[in-house]
Amino acid sequence: MPRYDRAPLLRPRKAIVGGVCSALATHLGFPVSVVRLAMVVFALFGGSGVLFYLWLWAFVPLAPALTRVDAGAPVSRRAPVGALLLAAGTVVAGAAVVLANSATTPFAAIVGATLLAGAAVTWSLAFDQTDATRSARYRTLVRTLGAALLILTGMLLLASHGARPDAVTAVLAVLMIVLGAGVAAAPSVMRLWTELMAERAGRVRQEQRAEIAAHLHDSVLQTLALIQNRAGASSEVARLARAQERELRDWLFAGTAPAEADLATQLRDIAAAIEIDYPARLDVVAAGESAGPVNPALVAASREAMLNAARHAGGEVSIYLESSREAFDVFVRDRGPGFDLTALPADRLGVRESIVGRMSRAGGAATVRRGSGGIGAEVHLHLDRALRKESPQESTGGGPA
Amino acid sequence: MTRVLIVDDHSIFRSGLRTDLDETIEVVGEAADVDSAVARIAELVPEVVLLDVHLPGGGAGAGGGGAEVIRRSAALLGSTRFLALSVSDAAEDVVGTIRAGARGYLTKTSSGAEVSRAIAAVAAGDAVFSPRLAGFVLDAFGAVAGEQAVADDELDRLSAREREVMRLIARGYSYKEVASDLYISVKTVESHVSAVLRKLQLSSRHELTAWALERKLL
Repeated sequence: MPRYDRAPLLRPRKAIVGGVCSALATHLGFPVSVVRLAMVVFALFGGSGVLFYLWLWAFVPLAPALTRVDAGAPVSRRAPVGALLLAAGTVVAGAAVVLANSATTPFAAIVGATLLAGAAVTWSLAFDQTDATRSARYRTLVRTLGAALLILTGMLLLASHGARPDAVTAVLAVLMIVLGAGVAAAPSVMRLWTELMAERAGRVRQEQRAEIAAHLHDSVLQTLALIQNRAGASSEVARLARAQERELRDWLFAGTAPAEADLATQLRDIAAAIEIDYPARLDVVAAGESAGPVNPALVAASREAMLNAARHAGGEVSIYLESSREAFDVFVRDRGPGFDLTALPADRLGVRESIVGRMSRAGGAATVRRGSGGIGAEVHLHLDRALRKESPQESTGGGPA
Repeated sequence: MTRVLIVDDHSIFRSGLRTDLDETIEVVGEAADVDSAVARIAELVPEVVLLDVHLPGGGAGAGGGGAEVIRRSAALLGSTRFLALSVSDAAEDVVGTIRAGARGYLTKTSSGAEVSRAIAAVAAGDAVFSPRLAGFVLDAFGAVAGEQAVADDELDRLSAREREVMRLIARGYSYKEVASDLYISVKTVESHVSAVLRKLQLSSRHELTAWALERKLL
């Protein structure tokens, strides 16, 4: 089997037009200028060079990207082919108008001008669109000028011979105007199309997600619930299963959560974090609209109350957040041994400072009381919505029980 | 003995629940999908049906799931009571099942003792409200925003007392604790809860449906 020590025939990613000449030069070992000259010479013989160029362009593969990051990277072309085609189109169009007003038939020139302007616009849409070296302004300019050239030439042709062009010229001129209008509308049509496609893809994804969610809902969540049940509410296994369940729920319904974390979401997150560390089950129930800015003092005090309940009482802890138009109310209820605030030793700073002190400094109120029937304890935090932006000020908070 | 039928499409969950329930409850049967559930209910006439919200089978037009089982067994609603049991705590599932006629709603993470207590309560004609369901109710009836029923028979809003009871349940209080906190009897608490359940089922309040739809899954 003979071996060729030749570089493979591949078109480079950084090219002038199509990269065909440099690909041929690299492959054959000739200087690029020689190959280019040969192409031009052949092009002069009935355009065979042009055909050969286009044929190679179509069939020679593109060089693979060097890095993986470039994998989807488009090809960049140095020559402003769109602008060149447009310029050539303008010249030919001028010639066509002149010819149309003199005696000779301008058909070839008209068709040539149309093709060149169309090619300029097509190039701009097909190649410049993905080319990073071309600015958006350049693309718009080529397209706009292409459309303008078509429409203008068409009108001038219609006006030739004192507004009495011959039949073929008139038909070609009208076609030019129609094409020009089409080119002018092309970007918005394309945009509409892309948007339609994107919307459709989005919907399909949404449906797929809903299907997955429904399936997981029926299978995995059931199993996790079962594990929690069988393992006992506050065992290690149950806590793990519960944490997993939470994560899964968050993931499944991620799309429906508001971007800005409201108070209810924050409390749920805190509860989830505490559950991982302590053998307790924290159930957060929220009622009312808790959106809007959240006072960090209220969050911190709630956190402290929940942490206290999980640490000292454990078991089931109920958290209830009520967000009315005027105020936020947070209740943290546990079923542990309970504690009496007045009988608390002075070193137990947790409740006195972190909850009661913090709330009163924020302009709210905190009350700690024995749970109903003497079981456990309940912390009630109250903060008026109107106060949440004022500077912290001391107030003696009694608060409703 | 309370005669109970368990309807759930996961056999492992059915058998787990069966062993967890205490001895005052007799499980008379099990069913795994909508059609067999309806047939078993008609045949056995259990006192309480433990019903999963998401079930396979059933007609496309009837809503499907647990709600369809309740609707198709509507003739028996006088003697058979439904207690919904689900992994879902989504508003639309909860409100939808209650409005179909269930007397209570529990999540599947509830312990066997909790479920047993709930079965006893439902069998006695009471309603079972979890803290979460109470939260939903407060939200759905605009009670948090301060709306209050003027007349007792008003279906679209909660009375002041009902609101108090719901708030305490949402805070994790048992009926007994609610009763002692409000200085009323447990029976009164139960009647308030039943009244709220009735409102939840009968109210045509626009927000109830719109709200459940809009919130989708919580």
